[in-house]
Amino acid sequence: MDAGLLEQMLLGALLGLSVYLPLRCGQLSLATPGFFAIGGTVAALLSTRVPALAGSGSTYPITSVLLEMALAALLTGVLALGLGRVVLRLRGIYLAIATIALVEILRVVTLNLEFTGGALGIFGIPQPFDSAAGYAAFTLALLALICWLCDRLEKNRPGRAMAAIRDDELAAASQGINTADTKLLAFVLSALVAGITGVVAAHFLNSWNAKLGNFDASITTLAFVVFGGSRTWLGPVFGGLLLTALPELLRPVGDLRLIVFGAVILVGPLFFPKGVITPELFKSFKRRIRGTPTAAAQGVKP
Amino acid sequence: MTLLQLEDVGVRFGGLQALQGVDLEVKQGEIFGLLGPNGAGKTTLFNVISGLTAPSSGTVRWRGASLDGLSSHRIARLGIARTFQNLRLFSSMSCLENVLVGLHQHASQQPLAALLQTQSFRRRESQLQQQALALLDLFQLEDTAHQDAASLSYGDRRRLEIARALASRPQLLLLDEPAAGMNPSEKDELRELIRRIRDQFKLTVLIIEHHVPLMLGLCDRLAVLNFGQRIALGSPDQVRRDPAVIEAYLGGGA
Ligand SMILES: Nc1ncnc2c1ncn2[C@@H]1O[C@H](COP(=O)(O)OP(=O)(O)O)[C@@H](O)[C@H]1O
Ligand SMILES: [Mg+2]
Repeated sequence: MDAGLLEQMLLGALLGLSVYLPLRCGQLSLATPGFFAIGGTVAALLSTRVPALAGSGSTYPITSVLLEMALAALLTGVLALGLGRVVLRLRGIYLAIATIALVEILRVVTLNLEFTGGALGIFGIPQPFDSAAGYAAFTLALLALICWLCDRLEKNRPGRAMAAIRDDELAAASQGINTADTKLLAFVLSALVAGITGVVAAHFLNSWNAKLGNFDASITTLAFVVFGGSRTWLGPVFGGLLLTALPELLRPVGDLRLIVFGAVILVGPLFFPKGVITPELFKSFKRRIRGTPTAAAQGVKP
Repeated sequence: MTLLQLEDVGVRFGGLQALQGVDLEVKQGEIFGLLGPNGAGKTTLFNVISGLTAPSSGTVRWRGASLDGLSSHRIARLGIARTFQNLRLFSSMSCLENVLVGLHQHASQQPLAALLQTQSFRRRESQLQQQALALLDLFQLEDTAHQDAASLSYGDRRRLEIARALASRPQLLLLDEPAAGMNPSEKDELRELIRRIRDQFKLTVLIIEHHVPLMLGLCDRLAVLNFGQRIALGSPDQVRRDPAVIEAYLGGGA
């Protein structure tokens, strides 16, 4: 497979995880592209304007990329902490609308600022890897790390609290769950993942502009989760990988590919209302490989 | 000793006075019943105690301290747990997971230990599992531990909700019509179960229920609400003979 496409798919999976985190506790936030754009801008600015980061070798040092990631995480994290306190008071579709507005504000601000390069953006972002395969390996490691963290989160206290809030926020609060803090945690983690992903994307794309964090991206990344499922982290990873690859793989059929892509988003939820990847899927899969008897054979309760 | 105290509690929803001037004292260890016709304000009273509805006037005191302005999760953490008249289980979770959420406050809060799955962390988690299973056992739900809560029968769901509430190790348990939808034999079992958990967990119970014989047989003391006001208070015998109660609630024939 083309390493460049693989890298795009991995970035898609990371963005899927970013949308997934708030959604797992029932919060439809579409702010991911906004934080993604901030991450990208941080990387573009630092790597092109700060000579000290460039190092002495022919390629841009990976330690500098890691430093950019840390700064992007700090910036998006603090921003999400402040914004989250306000916007997370909104529910359902109102939260979605507020977060879309947030993304738009960020885009317009970036577009009009002098130091972010205006509409043209920033060019000539230095390359830490000399091939797409290098990027893919680095991003794969990053994805693996974040998947592992998500897995830990889900199987423990905060994950149970998040699922409880998604099912019934009021009942969750009555069990002693601090619903505001839990939602805020999910929102901040989502921002961190998006911000870090933006850093990698900026280097990979070599240039960065305001268009990369727009409303279209909100919808595309949401589609990753709607299609893949929002019950476990595997859902958005699967959705992000597949739906990023699909338009590219369908490029030979020309404009038809957009129709096929749209149809997948439209028809997917009809056949898989909870997404393609659900916990039930794992249970039935485990049953099959272990060969344990199904519910019917275990004896029905008298 | 007085555990919970309501002083002149009133709640207004727009033009509707759902509660007015309600005074109540619930003593430690008692089973206290709330009777009253539909719309009398019983559930609203529970909502005020558990922090879901802010009173328009008056105060609720817990061990003498005012609960004014505390959010519902803070109140839950003080040791006040509840069930809901219209069941609010976590429907995408199994029975066991529902009870585990109830144990939320007692789970390990160290993120690093959870990430690294340290020995002590895993021991703690497996203890919680054991406690959750023991609770399911107590409510005869052990066979359905891994089934979705939504798939249970109505009576089982009601009992699962009590098990979940108990998981937080409350001192005060608020039960909103726990026998609704149960058949007569299930109701008898429920009465015994409530007595048993009161003794076993050293609980104080505040219960709303329409089934008058069950309430008269179960409760140490009762209050009767009508149109948001407390019209009677006392032992089952006193309440049974109260003329205002006979007039307003028991319809004169009881
Ligand atoms: N959130 C609310 N908004 C408006 N009116 C309410 C609300 N909750 C309850 N009520 C009204 O308050 C009155 C008391 O309701 P409730 O406490 O549920 O009664 P009960 O539990 O005794 O049947 C009813 O008339 C009900 O319609
Ligand atoms: Mg009621």
